[in-house]
Amino acid sequence: MMELFVTVFSAAFFVTIIRTTTPLLLATMGGLVADLSGALNVALEGQMLIAALTAVIVSVYAPWYVAVAAGLGAGALLGLLMAFFALRMKADIILVGFAINILAAGGTVFALAMATGGDKGTSINLPSQAIPALDLSFLSGIPGVGPTLSALLSGHSVLTWVAAFLVFAVWYFLFRTPWGLWLRGVGEYPAAPEAAGIPVNKIRTWSLIVSGALAGLGGAQLAMFNYVGFTRDMTAGRGFIALGAVLLGARHPVGALLAALLFGAFEGLSVVMPGLFSEIPAELIRMIPFIVTILALVLFSYRAQQLMKMRSGQ
Amino acid sequence: MSSFAALGRPSRFAALRRETFRALFAAGIALIVAFVVVLLTSKAPLEAFEVLLTAPIAKIRTIGYWIDDAVKLTITGLAFSLVFQARQFSMGVQGQVYVGALAASYVALSPLGATPFGLILGVLAAMLAGGIWGFIPGYAKARFGANEIVSSLMLNYIAIELANYLVRVQLRVRAGVLTSPDFPPTAVFAPLIERTRIDLGLIVALVAVGVVWFLLYRTSWGLKLRLVGHNARFAEYAGIRSTAVMVSAMTVAGMLGGLLGSIFVQGQTYGKITVLFEGGLAFEGILVAIVARSKPLAVPFVALAYGYLRQGAQLMNVRTDVPAEVIGVVTAIIILLVSSSYSVDFFKRLFRRNGEPTPVSNAKPVEGAAK
Repeated sequence: MMELFVTVFSAAFFVTIIRTTTPLLLATMGGLVADLSGALNVALEGQMLIAALTAVIVSVYAPWYVAVAAGLGAGALLGLLMAFFALRMKADIILVGFAINILAAGGTVFALAMATGGDKGTSINLPSQAIPALDLSFLSGIPGVGPTLSALLSGHSVLTWVAAFLVFAVWYFLFRTPWGLWLRGVGEYPAAPEAAGIPVNKIRTWSLIVSGALAGLGGAQLAMFNYVGFTRDMTAGRGFIALGAVLLGARHPVGALLAALLFGAFEGLSVVMPGLFSEIPAELIRMIPFIVTILALVLFSYRAQQLMKMRSGQ
Repeated sequence: MSSFAALGRPSRFAALRRETFRALFAAGIALIVAFVVVLLTSKAPLEAFEVLLTAPIAKIRTIGYWIDDAVKLTITGLAFSLVFQARQFSMGVQGQVYVGALAASYVALSPLGATPFGLILGVLAAMLAGGIWGFIPGYAKARFGANEIVSSLMLNYIAIELANYLVRVQLRVRAGVLTSPDFPPTAVFAPLIERTRIDLGLIVALVAVGVVWFLLYRTSWGLKLRLVGHNARFAEYAGIRSTAVMVSAMTVAGMLGGLLGSIFVQGQTYGKITVLFEGGLAFEGILVAIVARSKPLAVPFVALAYGYLRQGAQLMNVRTDVPAEVIGVVTAIIILLVSSSYSVDFFKRLFRRNGEPTPVSNAKPVEGAAK
């Protein structure tokens, strides 16, 4: 037990949490934007998966930033596809989302086999690249806190810093710009913005595109930093956990950040625990993030329900 | 013309014809896309496509594979139909399959499995386990307001890991092997046709179709369920406790998921439990339910048609250079197209500008002239 405490409060574990949180956070931001516009994006999982494979394959032939952009683009395209079928063709958005998840589960294995010449498991024989880590070791020059700062902040993926900035950007967009107000209005009560002449479907389309793009960034981070290379089903439910994080974060960017950190921390725990407790089976450790997601969701929903009751009781 | 048709009760055959046409149209488009994909990636595309379309019916053995797939797709399609009719998006069939299979395996490998009741006890245990697994997200939604999509999906992952663990540690033949010993013959569905995978599961699936149809259309519970699905608020005003209906619908769907787990491991195909035996089939019930419009009686036909494609893809995988996963593309396109055309004509939607209503005066005479 002591070792666990030592590990949990070490700088290395902090770095692990940041690493496991980043893809989750990006996908959660994506889920948040779509959810606030009233279009639940259940395809985050599939968008991440397809973007991850796209990024890995592109990175074989192009610099890493082109590959990240390709992942982002793949996610955005899938978002557009969702918008087309859900808004123009009036299909149920949840079914559209699951169609994309099914497409991703099969399609990525198919494309992987094509790209590697028959390997359906991993892209291990593709020389794919990684996203560079941002070296901030100069921070250790600061007297006193320097070494700690350097240990905590140096060596994160470039996309981690992008994700952190995006939390602020999404907050600013949603709560400090007119378009953000429109977007929230469309999600809250579409009839009112419609009557005010705000193009409801256009806003939803854009939020689905942005949502897909953010999930795509998450996928790129997963396959080009957390792991280098693609493995089949490598998202392993992260898109669905992100969906839970959106709900848990009270549909607010800062809440979403905290929820993503919570799930990221438990995922980080499941990364370090096998090394510490070899007697606990790996399968049970892998269950932790999913169990925590259900429990957190139930507790939070219950609290939200109680608050609603209290308010309506007054 | 059309207003008269709308006033009268639409003919069942017209609806059936329309739905069949839509499904075939979607399948046609999906196959064309699949053909283009195969054309671009395969060295022998025509051969691959021929295998996809003709191989399942070529031999008795492959027909057995096809029927076996159709049986399983029928059950998962029924489970999704039930929750979709209640307008719940519980996605937990996959998890229910795993816990059901685990329960069935424990019964089958216990002394009970060797008694004449081994089969039926296994099935019942599986349905109980699946029912519990389906009840959890339903209860969490009804009692705490927790989103059922997220919780049911999380339960899927938990069930898969649970199965991985229990098979590796307890049920295995010996250390290092990820399968259990063969179940005793008394705990396995008897084959209906020798040397094929066609077994009593086929009868069970047909009975399940009848039972779900009866529950939905001939009981007050089914009426309530469909009312809640249609308009939950109206149902509440009518004095129906929508949360109770919701939970029970998810529980019954969970029992079907558990039953599927038992059909997997107690069927002729396996006759034992292994890790990851389900291979993503459970989620394909979404397609079956959507194409069947969540109508139980249509489910087996859709399952037969889709099972044919699915098995064709598997055989294509074995015999040619095209991976079976190409079928995922077909599945997604069919879901997208069929769920799109819920109310209005496909082409009208496609070519109409956003937010610009179809001019009524223009559209109607054209329709009339066509008739």
